[in-house]
Amino acid sequence: MHKTAKRSARALAAGAFALTLALAGCSSNNTNSNTANGGTASPAANGDDNAPVTFSVFMSGPGQQPTADNKILKLMKDKTGVSFNMEFLVGDLQQKLGVMIAGGDYPDIMSGDDKLINAKAYIPLEDLIEKYAPNLKKHYAAVWNQIKDESDGHIYVLPSYGVYQGKITEPTYQGPGFWLQKAVLEEMGYPSPKTLDEYFDIIAKYKEKHPDMIGFESLNFDWRVFPLQNAPEHLSGHPNDGAVIVDNNKAQIFADKDISKTYYKKLNEINAQGLMDKEAFVQNYDQYLAKIASGKVIGMFDQHWNFQDGETSLISQGKIENTYIGFPLLYPGAEEWYRDRGAVGTNRGFGISINAKDPVRIIKFWDQMITEEWQKTIQWGIKGEDYEVKEDGTFYRTPEQRANADKTSWQVANKITTMHGYMPKIQGTYSDGNAADPGTQPQEFFDSLKPYDQKILKAYNKKSWSEFFKEPKENNIYFPAYSIVLKDGSPAQLAQSKLNDLQVKYLPKAIMASPDEFESVWTDYVNQIHKLDIKAYEDRINEGIQQRIKNWSVK
Amino acid sequence: MSDTVLDKQVKTQKTRKRRVDPEIGVSLSWKTLKMQKQLIFMSVPIAIYLLIFNYAPIWGWLMAFQNYRPALSFGKQEWVGLQQFKFLFSDETFMMVLRNTVAMSFINLVLGTVTAIGLALLLNEIKVKFFKRIVQSISYLPHFLSWVIAAGIVATSLSVDDGIVNIILMKLHLIKEPIMWLSEGKYFWGIVGASNVWKEVGWGTIIYLAAITSIDPSLYEAASMDGAKRFQKMRYVTLPGIKATFVILLIMNIGHILDAGFELQYLLGNGLTVDWSQTIDIFVLKYGISMGNYSLATAAGIFKTIVSVILVFIANYIAKRLGEERLV
Amino acid sequence: MKAVTKSSSRIEPVVFHTINTIFMLFVVAITLYPFLHTLAVSLNDGSDTLAGGIYFWPRAWTLENYKAVFISGTIYHAAFISVSRTVLSTVFGVFLTTMLAYTLAQPQYILRKKISMLFILTMYFNAGLIPNYFLIKELGLLHSFWVYILPSLVSAFNLIIMRTYIRGLPGSLTESAKIDGAGDFRIFWKIIFPLCTPVLATVALFIAVGSWNAWFDTFLYASSDIKLSTLQYEMMKLLGSTMSTNNDPSLLAGNQHNQTQALVTPASIRAAITIVTAVPILFVYPFLQKYFVVGLNLGSVKE
Repeated sequence: MHKTAKRSARALAAGAFALTLALAGCSSNNTNSNTANGGTASPAANGDDNAPVTFSVFMSGPGQQPTADNKILKLMKDKTGVSFNMEFLVGDLQQKLGVMIAGGDYPDIMSGDDKLINAKAYIPLEDLIEKYAPNLKKHYAAVWNQIKDESDGHIYVLPSYGVYQGKITEPTYQGPGFWLQKAVLEEMGYPSPKTLDEYFDIIAKYKEKHPDMIGFESLNFDWRVFPLQNAPEHLSGHPNDGAVIVDNNKAQIFADKDISKTYYKKLNEINAQGLMDKEAFVQNYDQYLAKIASGKVIGMFDQHWNFQDGETSLISQGKIENTYIGFPLLYPGAEEWYRDRGAVGTNRGFGISINAKDPVRIIKFWDQMITEEWQKTIQWGIKGEDYEVKEDGTFYRTPEQRANADKTSWQVANKITTMHGYMPKIQGTYSDGNAADPGTQPQEFFDSLKPYDQKILKAYNKKSWSEFFKEPKENNIYFPAYSIVLKDGSPAQLAQSKLNDLQVKYLPKAIMASPDEFESVWTDYVNQIHKLDIKAYEDRINEGIQQRIKNWSVK
Repeated sequence: MSDTVLDKQVKTQKTRKRRVDPEIGVSLSWKTLKMQKQLIFMSVPIAIYLLIFNYAPIWGWLMAFQNYRPALSFGKQEWVGLQQFKFLFSDETFMMVLRNTVAMSFINLVLGTVTAIGLALLLNEIKVKFFKRIVQSISYLPHFLSWVIAAGIVATSLSVDDGIVNIILMKLHLIKEPIMWLSEGKYFWGIVGASNVWKEVGWGTIIYLAAITSIDPSLYEAASMDGAKRFQKMRYVTLPGIKATFVILLIMNIGHILDAGFELQYLLGNGLTVDWSQTIDIFVLKYGISMGNYSLATAAGIFKTIVSVILVFIANYIAKRLGEERLV
Repeated sequence: MKAVTKSSSRIEPVVFHTINTIFMLFVVAITLYPFLHTLAVSLNDGSDTLAGGIYFWPRAWTLENYKAVFISGTIYHAAFISVSRTVLSTVFGVFLTTMLAYTLAQPQYILRKKISMLFILTMYFNAGLIPNYFLIKELGLLHSFWVYILPSLVSAFNLIIMRTYIRGLPGSLTESAKIDGAGDFRIFWKIIFPLCTPVLATVALFIAVGSWNAWFDTFLYASSDIKLSTLQYEMMKLLGSTMSTNNDPSLLAGNQHNQTQALVTPASIRAAITIVTAVPILFVYPFLQKYFVVGLNLGSVKE
C-alpha cells in the first residue's frame, strides 16, 4: 500500500513542478503586461487626444465587474481611447485603505475617502478644471464652494450625487416614514394618520381583527440601527441630520431628550399591548426582510430603501396589497420635514491620485462624459436598443427593454452601473425635458404601476408615492450634519461610537420593560449617556456647521 | 481485565518514553555538526524562511507605542509610550469583554475536544466501512459553510415563533412556552458553544481519526484474546493511543484562550445580549481598525501574545512534570 | 452464570451497534441539513426565499442564482488560479512539513529545541496588517502568484501534528537502516515518509482547505490584478455587489430602482456561491479517506 502512496506522491510532485513552471511563466507575463499598461505615458501632450490609454481605478464599494466587451466601455474606448482597469472593494475598506496608504500604492483614479484626503493621496483639481474642463466647471458652478475640502479648501473629489439641473422628479419615495400596509389602509377606509396615537390606533384595530399579524416591526442590527434610532428627529420636525438635531444652527444630540423619551415610552406602551414584534431587536437583517416579505407586518418605521427587497419579494409573490405606503407622523405643533433635497455628496465621487500618470487626460475624459449626449448614453443607453423616443421627444422603454434592464446578465454587458455611481453625473432633467435616467421619468413610473396601486393612489387622490409627503423645504446651508467628518480616534468619534452602543443596548431594554419599569431604565440610560464626552461630539459638529456656513454661503 | 493488555500498553509507553525523552547530551562540536549535516540541511533553510516571513515584520510591534498613522513614514510617527495599553485596560468594558472571551473559548475548547474525541471513538466502532465513510464525509460538511449561513440557520432554529428548538422542547413538555433564546444573555455562551460543536465537530475528528490509525492493531488483538470488552478496549488501547495527540492539541489550544473569534458573536449578538457577546476581537475591530487606530490593534495583539505564551509554557511544564507528550 | 455472560456478550454488540447507528444517523441529519438547506436556497427563486419556509427542497425552482455566479467570464481563470495555488501549496507544504518534522523528531538533533521553539511561537503572534504588507512589498511579491504559496508554506500547527506522529513511530524501523549507513534524508524519504500516510493525508487536507478558502491574501496583495484573482475572491466580489444594491442609500437615491428588479438576493447568491466553492474541495476528503481507513500496519512493515 505504502508503495502506491509513495508513487502517487512522487507523480504529484512531478506534476506540481510542471505546474510551477507554467505559472511562473504566466505570472511574469502578467507583470510585464501590467507595467506596460501602467507605464503608458499619454501622448495627449503631443496633441493626439484619442491614443489608447488604460487607467487603474479603485472603488471603495463593492461592485460588479462589467464584461470585457461591455457596450458602454467599448464605446468610450472607441471615442476617447480610454479604458479602465477597475478594482472594486472586497472585504473591509479600513484594512484596504490602511495598506494602500502605508504603502503609498495608489491607482490612477480613486473614489473619495476622508482617510485618503488626510493622507494627501489626491491632487487638487480646481486648476485642472479651470484649464481643461469647461463642462465640469459649468456642472459644479452652483456648488463650487461646497465641494471644496473643509480642511484646506482644495477640490479633491468630484461629487457624483446631489448636483441637479432642470426639474427634480421623484415618483417613488426612498426616505424615512411610518409605513402601513396597503391592505390595512384599504380595510380601514383609507385613513391618513398624522400622529403616533392615530397610527398605532390603526395598527391596534387591525391586529384585533387579524391576530396573526405582527403589529409594529423594528430593526436594531449592525449598522442598520436607524429604524430604531431616527424616528424622534423626524417626529419633532427635523430633517435627517444623523444623531443630532439642529435648531438655529446649533446641533445637539437627541437620544437623551424628551422627544426621544416620548417616542420610546409610546413604544413601551404598545409593547405592553402586544403590538410590538417580540423578536424585533433580536433579529438580523435577513430575518427582518423575511418578515416584511411574509406580508405579516402591519407597519414599521424605516427608510424605504432599507426594506425594498422585502417589497420586491411581495410583488413577485403576487402580494402587491401587502406592500407599503409611508406617512409623515408628527408631534403636535411640529412642522413636517421628512423629505429633503438631496445634498451634494461631499467627498463621494472620484478623485485623481498623486500617482496618476496623466491627470490632464483623466479630467478631459470626465469633462467629455458630463455632456448631455454622453450622459444619455450612460444613463439611458443607446437609442433604438435600450430606449425609444416618442414623436414629442419623450424617452420611454418598451416592456421588453425594461425587463432587460432588470437582468444582471444584461447589466454587466450593457451598463457601467458601479463606475457610473462614482462619476460626475447629471441629475434632474436634460435640456430637452427628459429625466436624467429611466427611473425618474414620470411616465416610466406610471407605466410600471399595477392596477391595484393605481386604485390605491386614486383613493387617496394622489399621483405618486412621494406625494404622501410634503415637498422638501430648502436645505439648511450646512445640511446634512451627519457628513461632517470626525477625525479618526478623536474624542468626538469615540463619543459618537459609544453613544451608538448605548442606544443599541438600552433602547430595546426600555421598550421591552414592563411599563412601570420604563422610567428607571430610561434614567439609567440617560445617566450612562451623560458619562460620555458628548460635548466633544457636539462641539465638533457645531464647528463643522459654522465652517460650512462660512464657506458655503459664498456662492 | 487482562493484565497482558495493560502490560503491553505500559511497555509501549515505556519504550516510547525512552525513545522520545532522553535528553541525550549532545554537545555542540564539529563532530556533531558533521554527523548531523543532513539534518541541518533539511531543517535550517526552512527555519530561515520562517524567520523572514514571520519574524521580520515583528518591528510592527513598535506601533503599539505610537499613535501610528499610515500616511506618515515610520520615522515621523508620534511616540506615545503606554497610552494605547492604558486605553485598553482602563476602558470599563474591557474586563467584561475579556471575561466573555475567556468564557466562550474555554467552553469551545472543552466541548470541542470532548465531542471530537467521542465522535472519533464511536466512528471507529462502525464496522460497515461504507457507512463509516459516509458519516465522516457528511459530518465535516458544516465546516465549509460560512458563519453567515450557519448563524442564519442557528437564528432560525432558535426563533420564538416557529423555531425547531422551541417546537421540540414544547412537544416534549420540557417548557410551557417558547423561550426567547437570543434575547437573554445567560443563554448566549451556551448557544455559541453548541453552534461551534455542530459546525466543527466533524472537522475536529479528522486529526484523532488519523491518530487512531497509528495504533498497532496487535494491541487490539491481544486485548480481545484476553477478553477485553469494547469499552475496555477503548479505555485501555484507543485512548492511550491518541493521548499524545490530545495532549499536544490541548497545550496548543490553551494558547488560543483569548481567540474566541468574532463572526458568530457579531452575527448572533444584539443589543440585549451585548454584555455577554462582545469579545476582544470585536472590541479591537470597533475601536482599533475601524477607527484607523492600528496602534490599539497592535497593543491588543501584544497583550494576547503575552498571555498565550505564558499559558502555553505553563501547560507545557505541567505536561513535562506528568511525563506526557509536550510541545518543547 | 456462564450462559448469562455468553448471551450478554452476544446481545451487547447488537445493542451497541443499534444505538451507535442511530446516533450516527442523528449526527448525519444535523450536519447534512445546513448543506441541503443551502443547496435548496441556491436553487430557489431569491424573492421567494425571502418569504421563508425553505428547508430541504426548493419551492420555486430556478437556475438564476447560478447564472448570476457564472455571468462573469473571469471566474474560470480564477478557478484555475485557485486550483493551482491549492495543489502547489499542498504538495510543497506537505513535503517540507514532513521533512522538517522528521528532523525535529530526532532526539539527538542539536537544533531540535531551538527550531521547535521558533515555530511554536509563530502560532501566538501576528505582526499586524501593515508590517506584513511592507514585507511582501519588499520581497517583490505584490501582484505575484507566489504570494499565495510562499508566506504560508509551513504552518506550526501542522508541523507539531506531524512531529507528534513521527515520534510515535517505533524506533526499530529506522535502526537497521542507520546501521547500514543510510543518511537522514534517505531514511526520511524511503522509510518515514511512506509510513506517515494517515497524517500526511490529514495535513494535506488542512493545507488544501486553507489554501482553497483563502481570500485575504488576494485582497491585500493582488487585488488589482484580475489575472491573479482566485475563485473565493471573485465570489466575495459578486456577493458584495449583490449586497450593495440595498446597502447604499445614495446609489438608490440617485437611481430610483424599478419595483420589479432584483431576481437574485444576497441570501440566494450566497447559497449558490457556497455550493460552487465548497463542492470541489469537498471531494478531497473522500479521496484522502482511503489513507485513513487502510491505516498503517506497523507489524508488516518491519522487513
